[in-house]
Amino acid sequence: MNGWIGTTLRVDLGSGTIKREATNMTVAHEYIGARGMGVKIISDEVDPKADALGPDNKLVFAPGPFTGTFAPSGGRYNVITKSPLNGTIAASNSGGVFGPELKFAGYDALIVEGQSATPVYLWIKNDKVEIRDASAVWGMTVADTTEALRADTDHEAKVACIGPPGENLSLISAIMNEMHRAAGRTGVGAVMGSKKLKAIAVVGTGAVRVAEPAAFKAAVMDSCEKIAANPVGGAGLKAYGTNVLVNILNQTGGLPTRNFQEAVFEDADMIGGETLAANQLVRPKGCFSCIISCGRVTKVTNPLYAGIGEGPEYESAWGFGADSGINNLDAILKANFLCNDYGLDTISMGATIACAMELYELGYLTQEDTDGLELVWGNAHAMVELVRKTCVGEGFGKRLAEGSYRLADSVGHPELSMTVKKQEMPAYDPRAIQGIGLNYATSNRGGCHVRGYTIAHEVLGQGPPTDPGAVEGKAGLDVAFQDLTAALDSSGACVFVTFGIGAAELANMLSTLTGFPYSPEEFVKAGARVWNLERLWNLSNGFTTADDTLPKRLLTEPIPSGPAKGQVSRLAEMLPEYYSVRGWDENGVPTPAKLAELSL
Amino acid sequence: MRIKYFATFRELTRENSYQLDDHLPDVASLLEVLSDRYGTAFRDAVFDQGAMSPVMILLVNGRNVRLTGGLATPLAAQDEVSVFPMVAGG
Repeated sequence: MNGWIGTTLRVDLGSGTIKREATNMTVAHEYIGARGMGVKIISDEVDPKADALGPDNKLVFAPGPFTGTFAPSGGRYNVITKSPLNGTIAASNSGGVFGPELKFAGYDALIVEGQSATPVYLWIKNDKVEIRDASAVWGMTVADTTEALRADTDHEAKVACIGPPGENLSLISAIMNEMHRAAGRTGVGAVMGSKKLKAIAVVGTGAVRVAEPAAFKAAVMDSCEKIAANPVGGAGLKAYGTNVLVNILNQTGGLPTRNFQEAVFEDADMIGGETLAANQLVRPKGCFSCIISCGRVTKVTNPLYAGIGEGPEYESAWGFGADSGINNLDAILKANFLCNDYGLDTISMGATIACAMELYELGYLTQEDTDGLELVWGNAHAMVELVRKTCVGEGFGKRLAEGSYRLADSVGHPELSMTVKKQEMPAYDPRAIQGIGLNYATSNRGGCHVRGYTIAHEVLGQGPPTDPGAVEGKAGLDVAFQDLTAALDSSGACVFVTFGIGAAELANMLSTLTGFPYSPEEFVKAGARVWNLERLWNLSNGFTTADDTLPKRLLTEPIPSGPAKGQVSRLAEMLPEYYSVRGWDENGVPTPAKLAELSL
Repeated sequence: MRIKYFATFRELTRENSYQLDDHLPDVASLLEVLSDRYGTAFRDAVFDQGAMSPVMILLVNGRNVRLTGGLATPLAAQDEVSVFPMVAGG
């Protein structure tokens, strides 16, 4: 077996049974691994109508073929499950070294099913797998849990775990690994919490076999050279991190500000990557086998917000910054550190606070609701305090832990939640940048940028010049990005390698690694297969074309100022074409011909 | 005209922004003037054999000049020009 290991681990926490199964290689070939393999498993084994927090939901941890190899930035794994936040089939992606370690332990996927009656953790050392009592670490933060479980198992163990928000079934809780890396989106931490699974500690001493070592090495070197030659992959991300985007999005007029009321933030430069590099950056950091190193080790010395940790990413800096009108980068870092140490999705946390601030400013929430905090725009102290309350499940924080949709809905104003399918949108305004709006609306896991990062073409100058304000051609652009990304997520590579290489290089590396021939077209087709299977599952759960939409604000309220002044999202013009390009009918349902083409 | 620099262009120019009151007809003439001000490293960063560097992003009033005529993009006195290297994230 090359690239894949050939073994899948299945753990039933209800019965306590542990099984090793042969990985279905037909599925592996067709869905590649990671996101694709997990989606196939959930699609086959979980009823779309199942309670996401009940015993019938399953949680799949899956690295991909590249994971654990020296393919550039080949260190990713996915967590796939039914999302408790919005009921979609969810795949949440993380880096670090946990994914490679799971692979070295000998597994293409770990399927967790059932529910334990008491807190437990999994201890995996190669083929030795134990379900252990976790009552001593239940309630602990991510860092404390990680240290305690390393002491209990092996100091070299790689630990993925939840913090108190996941234990308390927060719908915006994350699964953290190596303390600072997050499978952040869609509330996957709550599914882990519902199973009373505090953590997974892994040590693996195996390796990933390569089908054609010389050819794989040549393919990897070719890809590395192309990534290194790209100004973004080679140097830009390492120097400034992803937060370098604050200024260019702001200058383009597409930086959502004050809960998407505006699209230009007057203090953007105070929270951007340049300011971070000058003041809080300790050093850049990469994940397993990464040649990009976009990660940030950061430190705040300001006693109000002092701490050391990692991040923030661009989305996090935006969520705790511009989206709430906050220009205090130290406070933003403190909020980010808290989310990492307790296991919360920084995008949803930040956007939920922005929503709360607008509800407060409009009088729909009062200080009686907010534990006395004055949630006016720009109040950095209140923002950090709200994060802390959400982390520990205190007072108003319990309402924030449900995400912005449920918060806004609870006061009769769901339209003020800037969500798609109840998941908070990230840091790009769909009115200024039309293609990303179509991607948000059609994303199979709700509001998300990395399902189809059209920003690369629409704003960042990668690819042919593309007008962000135009709608023409955006349907095809979205489909191309979504399918390529689904394939890439399934391979175990990081999406940032696409700043340098594309389907041809990825397919070549995958073919020489696995010995299974992927043409660039077959590689992308595998992504389309994943996308369509996700769609079918969501449709089975009752999602319809009516859910492929954006908040009313973005469809009807023009941007008030800046370069994109006067624009609204023209989603209605793009969506029918998107369905057509996808090979779906007018109701957004894949046609029999499309399903046959994809062997679905 | 206000010129704003970001990321590596701040390192190249050692300033965050620059106010230019001369009337310049287009982006090409602006980049020539700025190259004279900042020197060879800046010139090499903005030009590629006489064409606009493919790894620079230049916005005039928030609009990428690759969509408006590149070096021939006309300029007006009140324009805001933003100069970025190729950046990305997500």
